[in-house]
Amino acid sequence: MRRYLRLLRASLRLSLLLAMQYRWDFIGHGLMQLVWTSLGVLPLWIAYQARAAAGLSALGGYSFPQALTVFGFFTLLKALLDGAINPSLTAVVEHIRTGTLDFILLKPADAQFLVSTARQEPWRIIDAATGIGFVVFGMAGHIHQGGAPPGLGALLGAGLLLLCAMLLLYSIWILVICAAFYVVRIDNLSFLFTSLFDFARWPRSVFRGALHVLFTFVVPLVLMTSYPAEALLGLLRPPQLLLAVVWTGLLLCLCRLAWRRSLAAYTSASS
Amino acid sequence: MASSGPIISVERMSKHYRVHQRSAGLLSALGSLVSRRHDIKRAVEEISFAISPGERVGFLGPNGAGKTTTLKVLAGLLHPTSGSVQVAGFVPQRREARFLQQITLVMGQKQQLLWDLPPADTFQLNRAVYDVPQAVFNDTLAELDRLLGLSAISRIPTRQLSLGERMKCELAAALLHRPRVLFLDEPTIGLDVSMQVTLREFVRRYNERFGATVLLTSHYMDDVAALCPRVIVIDRGTLRYDGDLPGLVRSIRPHKRVTLRLGGTPCDQGRAEDQLRRVGELLSWDGTQAVLQIGKDQLREGVAHLLGVLPVLDLTVEDPPLEEVMRDLFERSAP
Repeated sequence: MRRYLRLLRASLRLSLLLAMQYRWDFIGHGLMQLVWTSLGVLPLWIAYQARAAAGLSALGGYSFPQALTVFGFFTLLKALLDGAINPSLTAVVEHIRTGTLDFILLKPADAQFLVSTARQEPWRIIDAATGIGFVVFGMAGHIHQGGAPPGLGALLGAGLLLLCAMLLLYSIWILVICAAFYVVRIDNLSFLFTSLFDFARWPRSVFRGALHVLFTFVVPLVLMTSYPAEALLGLLRPPQLLLAVVWTGLLLCLCRLAWRRSLAAYTSASS
Repeated sequence: MASSGPIISVERMSKHYRVHQRSAGLLSALGSLVSRRHDIKRAVEEISFAISPGERVGFLGPNGAGKTTTLKVLAGLLHPTSGSVQVAGFVPQRREARFLQQITLVMGQKQQLLWDLPPADTFQLNRAVYDVPQAVFNDTLAELDRLLGLSAISRIPTRQLSLGERMKCELAAALLHRPRVLFLDEPTIGLDVSMQVTLREFVRRYNERFGATVLLTSHYMDDVAALCPRVIVIDRGTLRYDGDLPGLVRSIRPHKRVTLRLGGTPCDQGRAEDQLRRVGELLSWDGTQAVLQIGKDQLREGVAHLLGVLPVLDLTVEDPPLEEVMRDLFERSAP
């Protein structure tokens, strides 16, 4: 375990070095991220403004501060997706296509771990901080409107669900990588997932019927952002927490199985 | 070191691939969307050999012979279709960490160095991955620096290094964990002659210094001749020869190549040519210089005769070039 933490530290260090190798890119990316992430809240704000103009305050039963908390979790996970998952995904797909995955497979460490931590974009930490800011701001608004402040149980539940959300996102990403062993170019699959992930910014009550099932079980966006936010807001019931934990465990097992099968099918690119 | 037995042992190992085939053209491409025709490509077919610890072995064969496939099976990257393979007491395809700690694979056509960062950063990453203690890492790096002259180049971003400098750093990155078995796949490809000699010399010194086993593939016969007392020849997936290099040359081309430079006047040239043709096969003749191919049994007698009847100014006796020997070998086995 300690060895893998050291490996993670080495990989983070390299990503930081890579980011700083081009210093204007580093500064420019950081500033642009701050602007883009802040602007990301606009669609939510506009939707609630339109509701307010129509004399309504809630959207799908969520007040603006509550929806902002969901959006905060979305921003936090989007930072993880863009900061750690997508860069590694791009790197791995290239490794598979060119055959340099050989070098990763020759290393005496778990290949899935090495692949998962291949590359990060450190400036996305700004997004993560902004996401936490939205959560805090949303919670403050919720309390200001008479909501109960989160107790220890709610905080622990939200923490557990945030962990589940990260693992769910990670599992889906590994499944996408596994597809790359068979179809080589998976750009479209990753674009599809990134587009789908954008739905996670909305509270779960916005999705009804088949969409609700789709975003709970197939692409579990609801479990990733709405559940942690609801745990913090005191709206989540224990069975839902259990569902998220079990579903996360199942998807983790599935992704490990798929990874092993894909590795066995790997034929390496020609010399 | 566990025992004095072979460090690499391959028994009746085969590797077959299932490959998709279709003819050229749109219709064929459309057809392949519905129904695909697959063939079995027999990359390696029941080859067996054993290599002792510390040996330097050249692995020769034309393109597509199965050399790289065999190296990848030995490194654990590919699973053999049948047969058994053991390297350093491990079954490679299981890819156990203790096995991977003991081997390295250098591929001249692929690189593990991080493109935008100096090689020193890749060295640090490999130190963490292989869990090399800092003191051992420093010692090894100093040794590699002494052998390869890394200090001037390891702090420059990889993308700004020449091919030769990059290859030096690739080798260093691959050897920082002091592997016992080196699989080198075309490590000198694309390098100029002087850099080839540098890397060759380095591999020899590393082998002598650490007692590492080296299995080398190269299209440059000079690499093999200079480095490998033993060669294994593979062609179309089957083993054609396993033994020392002089033995291979003897079995394929049991001749010596004699080059003579002659003095005398132009009117002597006709007579000289007659004498040369009496002794052996005349490969080239420009009136003053002749290249003859003489059977090894007739060499002593033939050279003595020529020295007696012709105004010989200079004479050299050599084995035929290795490239020609290999060409002969592969032409003989062609269907």
